[in-house]
Amino acid sequence: MAENAEAQGSEKVSIGSELIIPVAAFFFTIYYFITIWNAPWTAQVAAFIVGSILLFLVVLIVIKSVRSLSSGEGELNFNNLVNPKSFIPKRLGLLALTIGYIFIVPSLGFTITTFLFLSMAMLVLSDFRKKRLIFALAATLSLGGYLLFIVAFKTRFPAGPFETFMKGFF
Amino acid sequence: MELDYDLAFYVEMFARTFSFWWVILPAIFLGLIVGAIPGFSAANTIIILLPLTLAMDPETGLTFMVALYASSRMGAGIPAILVNIPGTAGAAATPLDGYPMTKQGRGQQALAMSFVASIAGGLLTTVVALISLPWLAQIAFYLHSVEMIVIMFFGISLIATIAAKDTLKGLIAGFFGLMIGFIGTDVVYETPRGTFGFLELYDKVPLIPALVGLFAISEAFAIIENQSILTERGKAAMGKPGWAATFEGARIAASKWWHITWNSIIGLVIGVVPGAGAAIASFVAYQQSKTYSKTPELYGTGHVEGLIAPESANNGVTSGTLVPLLVIGIPGGATAAIMLVVLQFHGVTVGPDLFLTSPELAFGPFTAMAVTYAIMVFSVLPLARYMSNITVVSTIYMAPIIISFTLVGSFVPRAYLFDMNLALVFGVIGYVARKTGYHVAAILIGVILGPLMETYFLRAMKMSQGDIMVIFSSSIGNTLWVLLVISMALPYFMDYRRNKAALNDPYG
Repeated sequence: MAENAEAQGSEKVSIGSELIIPVAAFFFTIYYFITIWNAPWTAQVAAFIVGSILLFLVVLIVIKSVRSLSSGEGELNFNNLVNPKSFIPKRLGLLALTIGYIFIVPSLGFTITTFLFLSMAMLVLSDFRKKRLIFALAATLSLGGYLLFIVAFKTRFPAGPFETFMKGFF
Repeated sequence: MELDYDLAFYVEMFARTFSFWWVILPAIFLGLIVGAIPGFSAANTIIILLPLTLAMDPETGLTFMVALYASSRMGAGIPAILVNIPGTAGAAATPLDGYPMTKQGRGQQALAMSFVASIAGGLLTTVVALISLPWLAQIAFYLHSVEMIVIMFFGISLIATIAAKDTLKGLIAGFFGLMIGFIGTDVVYETPRGTFGFLELYDKVPLIPALVGLFAISEAFAIIENQSILTERGKAAMGKPGWAATFEGARIAASKWWHITWNSIIGLVIGVVPGAGAAIASFVAYQQSKTYSKTPELYGTGHVEGLIAPESANNGVTSGTLVPLLVIGIPGGATAAIMLVVLQFHGVTVGPDLFLTSPELAFGPFTAMAVTYAIMVFSVLPLARYMSNITVVSTIYMAPIIISFTLVGSFVPRAYLFDMNLALVFGVIGYVARKTGYHVAAILIGVILGPLMETYFLRAMKMSQGDIMVIFSSSIGNTLWVLLVISMALPYFMDYRRNKAALNDPYG
C-alpha cells in the first residue's frame, strides 16, 4: 500500500474519492437529525452538538476541495479509490465471494462455506494456479476452524449439514 | 479505610499465587489466542468458561480469570502488529507504528518490544495498584457526567492529531464515528434514532462488527494489491528468523523504561475510571507520547515509542479496572463485571470489608496479575520469533483467511447474521477511508465513544434540567476543557518552535 501511496503521491489530489466520506457523513447526519426531530430536547442535544460540528467540518473540506480544484492541485476523479486499476477484477471478485459467503453461511454452515470461500477466493487471487495446494489449505483451515471454534470453544458459529452430522461424534 | 499489611504479608501472597501456576499457564495461552482473534474477547471467553470457573473455588477461579484477562490484552496486539488488525478495540492504536515496523521486516522485533512493554507496564502498574489501592479508588468518585463529557471530547481531539495526517480529515472521521455511535435507542426515552429501520441496531452499533469491518475486511481488500505484507525493503531486511531480533527488540524496549513507566501509569489511572477502558488509554498514551517526543515526525512510520506507548498503557488498564471492583464494588470494565458475578455466585461481597475478611481474595487478583506477567516473560517472549513468520505468507492466502475468520467472528457475540452484513458495510467504509486518508482508527474511536458520550450528555442534561451550560459547571471539568484546548494547540506550537529553531540554526 505504501508503494501505491508513493506512486500516487506524484498525481493530483483525487477530489471525487476524497469527498466520499464527507458526503456520506453529511447525508447520514441529515438523516439522523430527521429521526430525532420530534424527540425530547434532552435526547437530541448530544447528536445536535456533534452533528452540527460534523456538518461544519464537511463544509470546510468542501471549500478546501473547491479551492484545490480551482488552483489545479486537484482533479474531480476517483483514482485514489480504484488504483491500481489492474486489481479491479480481483477486488470485485473477492467482494462478490464475500457477499456470497454471508448469504450462504446460514444454510451451509461454517465449515462447508468457509471451505468453498477459501478455495474460490484463493483461486481467484492466484489466477487459478496452485489448485492442489489451495484445496488442501482450504480443507485444513476450515476443518481446523471447526475443531477449534465449534468443538473446543463451543462458539456459536452458524451450523449447517456438516456441523449437524458431526454432532453425533463430538 | 485503614489497611496495614507488612512486607511478609505481600511475600506470602505472592508465594501463594505462584502455587497456582498450573492454572495460570493454560490461561495465558488461551488468553493469547482469544485476544488475537477479533470477535473473541476475554469477557466472552470467561462467559463461555463460566461452568469451569464456577466449579473452581473462588481463589482459583479468580486467578484463572485474571491470567486470561491479562494475556488476552497482550494477545490483541499480535495481529495488530503483524497484519494491521487489532484483536480488540484496546489495541486499535498499536498498528499505527507496529504495522509499519512489520512492513519494514521488523515484525519479530516489534513483537518483542510489544511483549516487553506489555509485561513491564502490566507488572509495574499491578504493583503500584497493589500499594495504592485505597487512594486510586477515590479517582472514580471525582469524575461525574460533565467531566466524562470533556474526557470524551479529549478522545476525539486525539483522533485529529494522531490518526490522520490531515487534521480536518481526522476530525471528520472521528465525528462521523461519533454519529454512527449514536445509532440506536436513547437510554432515557428508548426512542430509535438513525437505525434505518433495522431492529438489530436498536441496541446500538455492535463494536465487534465495526472493528472487524473497519480493520480486517478493509485491510484484506487493501493487501491483495501487494504479493506480501512486507515491502521490498522489508523482505530484504527480514532475513532468516533467529533469536537476535527478539533480544534486540527486548533491549530497545527496556532502554525506553521511562516511557513504559509513564504510559502504563496513564493506563492505570484511566483504567480506574469505570467505562473508560483500554481504547481510550492507548490513544491518550499515544498522543501524549507524540506530543512530548523529540521526533514526533517519525510517529506512524514504525517508531519504537509509538508502539511502546499504547501497549504499555492498555496493559496498565488491566490492573486499573480491578481497583474500583475490589474497593468500591463497581467493575471498571466487562471482564471485571463478570468477575463480580463469579464472586457473588460464591457468596463473596466485594468492597472495603473484603480487605479485612478475605485479604487473599482482595489482593489475590493483583498478585495473580503480577505473577501472570512474570510468567509471560519466559512463556510468551520467545514466541515472537515464530509468530512473525506469518508476515511472509502470501496475501493470496492471507486475505481470504482474514475475511472468512473475522467475518464469522463478527457473528459470535450476538449470533445475528445481520452483524456479518454490518461488518461488510464497515469494511467498505474502512476501505474508502484507508484509500483516501481518513484513518479507520479515527472512525472506530468515534464509534466506541459515541454511546458513552451520549449517555453522559443525557445524564448531565437531566440533572441540569436541559441547561447546556452544565458542561462548563464543574471546576474539574473546566480544568479539563483548558487542558483539551492546550492539547489541541500544543502540537502546532511545538511544530512552530521546531520550525523556528530550524530556521535560526546556522548549520541547518
